[in-house]
Amino acid sequence: MVLWLIVCALAAWLLIRIGFGYPPLAHGYQVLRRNEVALLASVSEAMFPPGGHIPSSGLDANLPDYIDRWMSVSSKQTRVLMHLLYFLIEHATVIFPAPGRAGRRRFSALDLDQRVAVLQGWGESSLYLRRLVFVSLRSILTMGYFAHPPVLRQLGVAPFAIESPICEADLLYPRIGARSTDIAYTADDLTTVRDDAPLLPGSPLHPDFSEEQS
Amino acid sequence: MSAGSVRVYADYECDFSEDVDVVVVGSGPAGAVTAKELTDAGLRVALIEEGPPFTPQDFEIDGAISMARTMREGGLRMTQGTVMPTMQGIALGGGSLVNSAICNKAPDFVLDDWCEKFDLENTTLADLDPHYDAVGEFLGIAPTPEKVQGRRNLLFKQGCDALGYSSEPVLRNVKGCRGSGECFTGCRTRAKQSMDVSYVPAAIRRGALVLTSARVESILNDGSKATGVAGRVVAPFTGRASHRFRINARAVVLAAGCMATPVLLEKSGKLANRSGQVGENLQFHPGVAIMGVFPEDVHPAFGATQGYQSKNFLRDGYKLETLWAPPSVLAVRLPGSGMAFKNRLADFARSAIWDAIATCNRSLGRVRTRSRSMTPSLVWRLHPEDVRILTRALWTLSEIFFAAGAKSVVSGVNGIPDEFFSLDEARMLTEHPLRDRDLVLGGNHAFCTTRMHGNPARGVVDEYGRCHDLRNLYITDTGIFPQCPSVNPMWTAMALAHRSAAHISAEL
Repeated sequence: MVLWLIVCALAAWLLIRIGFGYPPLAHGYQVLRRNEVALLASVSEAMFPPGGHIPSSGLDANLPDYIDRWMSVSSKQTRVLMHLLYFLIEHATVIFPAPGRAGRRRFSALDLDQRVAVLQGWGESSLYLRRLVFVSLRSILTMGYFAHPPVLRQLGVAPFAIESPICEADLLYPRIGARSTDIAYTADDLTTVRDDAPLLPGSPLHPDFSEEQS
Repeated sequence: MSAGSVRVYADYECDFSEDVDVVVVGSGPAGAVTAKELTDAGLRVALIEEGPPFTPQDFEIDGAISMARTMREGGLRMTQGTVMPTMQGIALGGGSLVNSAICNKAPDFVLDDWCEKFDLENTTLADLDPHYDAVGEFLGIAPTPEKVQGRRNLLFKQGCDALGYSSEPVLRNVKGCRGSGECFTGCRTRAKQSMDVSYVPAAIRRGALVLTSARVESILNDGSKATGVAGRVVAPFTGRASHRFRINARAVVLAAGCMATPVLLEKSGKLANRSGQVGENLQFHPGVAIMGVFPEDVHPAFGATQGYQSKNFLRDGYKLETLWAPPSVLAVRLPGSGMAFKNRLADFARSAIWDAIATCNRSLGRVRTRSRSMTPSLVWRLHPEDVRILTRALWTLSEIFFAAGAKSVVSGVNGIPDEFFSLDEARMLTEHPLRDRDLVLGGNHAFCTTRMHGNPARGVVDEYGRCHDLRNLYITDTGIFPQCPSVNPMWTAMALAHRSAAHISAEL
């Protein structure tokens, strides 16, 4: 009977820890769940905190939206692995608690300082697998951070505006999803590759990354 | 000869079959060259590619999304054993769509070694030179011009010059580069002569039938010879299978890449594997990279993706290169988290990243087939002696950085300080005992899983790519390399494919 009560209490605790207390979503996501959005927002704030040499923080970069888009174009197997990664980070505080008070709370419920310390613990662990998990998580977040146009502009590495010339191959292949009969170009549209104009620093930026767009 | 045609995913409406002289599986550098040369010889050729053709409007500039669309397993393919990411393209043109177009001939001492160790009689540099030249002329392979080098590449030259190390502009299959540095996400300037804009259109002009979004799942054979291939049409990106197809052919050429080809042979009833070598001997050029931070702006986004290289240390087991990629992909290699990591990223505009690829003939692995999937399972281990080569390469790169005026270098190696501010400090790279798992590795170029060997008991194909077991089945991808070539393999793969095509057309 006592054992049964312990199992029930444990199950209730697990249920509450895993499923309850997450804020509602501001908008719909294709792949991410409510708890994952909360986790990714909290990790992004700890990984790219406000201040420092780059004005944009992880929260400014809205990483959950980016990661949702990325996962939606990834394979099912990749998505499963990413979901597992988020679950692990969120709940591994049970085994690797954050320093300070109530350090065993789930990751997204920790204070910012505690979250920073937890991430540092993963990154500098003597356990190879922990470091590997950290690098995987940081890679995902970094991909999203660098997809934020203001970040790329602030770092001086935003892509340039380029008008693609029409070459022979463009008369052969339609855009992905279209039929061969939908190819818009004819031989009259062919243009030459411009090799006279290197894209020097200061050249106009890609429209999606220009200041006006943001 | 009448012009050929291309079929894309939306064109397929039912199951279908075709009869041709030769079917070529895979449209990467080896497959595209093979297909074009065979059509030039007057043969009816079908070139089959699992991925779709990409137009410039289909390119994604963002690193992760681009990889998810153009790479197998979304660019997240990993080896087990020593964990290392390795990328293979899935697109018309294969890896050439998203590589940095580096063309190097295999060094003569490497090819001599191949001939001696693997019982090859006609694979010296002199034997391959006519084939290198034919490919080079067609693609316009030439040194990267000074005007698109950018400071990131020229600093490398400056550092090498100061130390007396040889260096050179990278030879590339590029016409009219503008220095966008976007080779890895697809060349929007259309300067890169990837296979989809060069060899494949040429093959189509001469009558080739190009089937894209078509995944070959088995090689048809009657026990003594290959009779064609069969497979399914697959949707771009999701891989969802639909219509079935069958291509009947007098000869079959596999150029699906050194990871897919062994799986295909295995799934076809352990074909061509009397030697037991199919899927064995997997080798890479493992790569390491290091970031140098300079006092002034480097403007790293401008310049040829990989414009300069040094072959000074080839005989010591490593080659040095400059590097650019989507910043998000480069940043993954940097150490740290939180504010320290963020501030390190802020150094990007004043940074250059250079890399080394290593000759690791001792580090071997294998490609294994999964029961319900065409996706291979990869096991590979970096040999401790090869770890030493890679750390030595990191040290040399640090030397070049400091000689070029860098104020610090960031290695990303576990177990030692994140950043070195002098060459003395960087000495730790060679003095501190490091293991494979301390390095941030990249699995560049893969080889040897269907290696050529003069002795049928020890290799899968002969030096012309013909399988020892089935005389009309050929392999032309980098799986046939008997060892890693020590330099970027694309030109060598194309030269070998060029030679194989001549051999096949003579046989037919």
